[in-house]
Amino acid sequence: MTANGVGLRVNHLRKTFRGGSVVACEDVNLEIAEGELLVMLGPSGCGKTTTLRCIAGLEHPDNDDAIWINGRNMTRVPPKDRNLAFVFQETAMFPNLSVRRNISFGLDIRKQVPRPEIDRRVEEAARMLRIEDLLDRRPYELSGGQGQRVALGRAIVTEPSAFLLDEPLAALDAALRVEMRTEIKLIQRKLNCTMIFVTHDQEEALTIGDKIAVMHKGVVQQVDTPHNVYHRPANLFVGTFIGLPPINRFACELQQNGAGLELRSERFVLPLAGEQAARLEQAPGRRVTLGVRPELMEIGAEGAIPGTVRLVEMMGSRTLVLIEAENQDIRVLVQGEPGLREGERVGLTPDLGRAFYFDERGQNLLA
Amino acid sequence: MARSIDIRADLDRPDRTRAAGRRRSVLAEDRWLIIVFLLPTTLFMLLLLWLPFLQGIWISLHNWPLMGEPSWRGLGNYRDFLNASYFWTSIEATLIYSLSTLFQLIVALIAALALKQVFVPAKSLLRGIMLIAYAMPPVVVGAIWLFLLDPNLGMITHHLLEFGIIDYPIYWFADNTWAKWMITLVASWTFWPFMFLIILSSLQAIPQSQYELAEVYGANLWQRFVTVTWPNIQGAILVVVILRLAFNLAKIDQPFQLAGGGPGYETSVLSILMYRFAFMSGDFGMAFTVGMFLVAVTLILLAPFAFLYQRHLRQVGR
Amino acid sequence: MTDDRSTPLQKVLTYAALVVILFLVLVPYGYVIVTAFKPPYEVYEVSWWPSEFSLDSWRDVLGIYHFHVYLWNSLLAGLGSAVLAVAIALPGAYIFARKEFPFREPFFYVIVGTLVFPFILLIVPITIVWIRIGLFDSFLGLWLAFQIFAVPYSMWILRGYFARLPRHLEEAAQIYGCTQFQAFWRVMLPMAKPVIVSVLFLAFLQGWSDFLFSNMLTTGDGPRTAAVAIYTSTAGGERVDWGPLMVMTLLAGIPPVVLYMFAQKHLARTFAGAGH
Repeated sequence: MTANGVGLRVNHLRKTFRGGSVVACEDVNLEIAEGELLVMLGPSGCGKTTTLRCIAGLEHPDNDDAIWINGRNMTRVPPKDRNLAFVFQETAMFPNLSVRRNISFGLDIRKQVPRPEIDRRVEEAARMLRIEDLLDRRPYELSGGQGQRVALGRAIVTEPSAFLLDEPLAALDAALRVEMRTEIKLIQRKLNCTMIFVTHDQEEALTIGDKIAVMHKGVVQQVDTPHNVYHRPANLFVGTFIGLPPINRFACELQQNGAGLELRSERFVLPLAGEQAARLEQAPGRRVTLGVRPELMEIGAEGAIPGTVRLVEMMGSRTLVLIEAENQDIRVLVQGEPGLREGERVGLTPDLGRAFYFDERGQNLLA
Repeated sequence: MARSIDIRADLDRPDRTRAAGRRRSVLAEDRWLIIVFLLPTTLFMLLLLWLPFLQGIWISLHNWPLMGEPSWRGLGNYRDFLNASYFWTSIEATLIYSLSTLFQLIVALIAALALKQVFVPAKSLLRGIMLIAYAMPPVVVGAIWLFLLDPNLGMITHHLLEFGIIDYPIYWFADNTWAKWMITLVASWTFWPFMFLIILSSLQAIPQSQYELAEVYGANLWQRFVTVTWPNIQGAILVVVILRLAFNLAKIDQPFQLAGGGPGYETSVLSILMYRFAFMSGDFGMAFTVGMFLVAVTLILLAPFAFLYQRHLRQVGR
Repeated sequence: MTDDRSTPLQKVLTYAALVVILFLVLVPYGYVIVTAFKPPYEVYEVSWWPSEFSLDSWRDVLGIYHFHVYLWNSLLAGLGSAVLAVAIALPGAYIFARKEFPFREPFFYVIVGTLVFPFILLIVPITIVWIRIGLFDSFLGLWLAFQIFAVPYSMWILRGYFARLPRHLEEAAQIYGCTQFQAFWRVMLPMAKPVIVSVLFLAFLQGWSDFLFSNMLTTGDGPRTAAVAIYTSTAGGERVDWGPLMVMTLLAGIPPVVLYMFAQKHLARTFAGAGH
């Protein structure tokens, strides 16, 4: 069973509720290629779920040309005619149907596929999801993870144009979540289908997506590969949202001194050299937010930014050190165990070559 | 994990995982507590319910006049009853009166589904209005309908005549056919809100995601009703049907007020018939015989629904 | 938060159904209310608005028929029934909900199962017993008689609710020094407000609306309730004019409806979330 997906386009989607007083989606634009796994990532209220529901037809966008599926305007087409599959966060298994009939639901309802073919698809999907033994059980006998597999099976057998998943793993425990997201990715690869996956968990997004669309306040902030979203965030929001522990931020000013550019803040002065200096030269006197990822800071006895060690937390192969530098907490991720003690005075040196520079509006100056 | 909707208390049983260990030794403190808390209730029910019931069986086997000496008749009363001319009339009246349960269910379902769908402010006000008839004493409702249906000055009679639906006033409760249907209709009007309330609660607890799921996978309105709504409210429906059927069979105040058991025996449902024997003929032996029939009919009518309910519980894992 | 995506057809059907039902429910009452304010002669004509606004029927109800006495009796009957039902059923329901003991489930169903029992079978024995022990023609007698139905009903509702309450608050209370009873009293009871209000209301309704026992167990001189008074005014041989009778139905019918409006919120919370 192959399910090659179709391309999807979200075109200036605007969705408001309560007569316009609540804006869920401000202006959402997305382009999803065939066979691609796009993750919509963002904090709650950013519009990702609403966008997904508009794509499914469960909400009506404000504009009439917002949703295009396979090159056709499907904005006003009812959900059942869009040939999409939806997986909810709460496992919605129909309690009175067996697992088998839950899976074949979409096919039974539409009555277009003959019985033998339905049975075959159900068996195949169940094998793919490793739930063949559960086919004749009832929903109440299943665990959360098994339930979500059933939901996936139901989606798979209908051979939809695209799969829409709304935080499907959020209700599962941590270990199961990690296991399931790999499975979902493998299934997507095997079926070569178009999939849109909504989550608020940035780690999940980075692992699973071909492309990530980071959303905030109803607008897409950046659509890019996980690598780029991590290493080349388009703005301060993306930079801060992606990456755990989060980025360290410093408010600075670009200043000219005799030798070149330097970043000046209340507590430290960092001279800029090379590529960074060249690209930032046009803007002396500007206010810049310096963003440095925890793993891009070096701790030494001496360093550009002075501070005191407050907490040392072991995280397996790495150690997270919490450092207090005047009235700011700085987090540094170190390989191995650095042998630091609480209360020790240290100096931090950021890797300016790989740091981020955001302007007053939060835009990445070097993106 | 999705679970079905059911309002029966036992679903929310306290966890049984600890039961196995504890059952062997009910704690001393607990034992005392249990006895103190349960004893009054148990005693009460024993004395006031079970004892009189057994007494009733005993009396039904006798000729037991109000004034005079009881004499043993064994099953004689039962034979007489089965052969009496009013036996089938009474059974027929009872069955027709039980149909009000069905009418109540239909109206309650429609109202609950409609109220759930509608996007209107003051929903709870609407719900409250629907429940008025049930909150009033049944004999008050009976009095109202006696007034409205009065052949001389009743509003209903008047308008029926005016619109030419009938040619002359009908004495509803004195008519051989109409009487039993009228008491049934009034009962339906009075008691449907009970079913409505419980079915509505059940409906409102169905998660929206089940509907949306069905919708995305191609179900139209009717299919959504059959796959999502209906299975989820089955439990509640069965419970209210069982209860209302039982209450309906035992009902005596309103139908007696409306028609007095007549004309003749046409509206003498079993409960009314029993009352007539006990308090109008003074024949307690026959009264309790009829009473036993009533219990039997109740059990027979309730049994299929109780069975369906057990099966429903098993299907959704309780 | 989601929009209303029902089709126009759905909307039409829904509104039509609601309008029809509301019509069937409200029109009879509307006519009763109108009749209550008509002058005596006009009661016998069918008109939807009084030609002159008249309180004659109301005066008769209070002056000639002394209905206020019966209303008061109904109130007492209902209150006593309510309080007693909660007092008896509450501890039992708690035990069934929180304690394990052998045969707990069958025992519970035996008690609750009596709801399907035809209660008229009991009027004769109960009347006889009541006379013998002196409960005849008294409020206490009525209150106790009502419990035969009220207690199983209340226990059923109460136990369901208690079983659904999470245990951890009571357990925390016990760790911090409460005995079982104190945990029950100070922790569970306050949480049980909705269900207690619901049960009070339903038991009150039982007492206010009852006819069977109230009629059997009282005489005209004793605590006759409004329900009985209305019954005897229509079928019991003491006929009353329709005008005053309609006023009586309003007086006897409206208080429980008003109480219901207050109890509604609690009733909804008691029955919602059951089994889910």
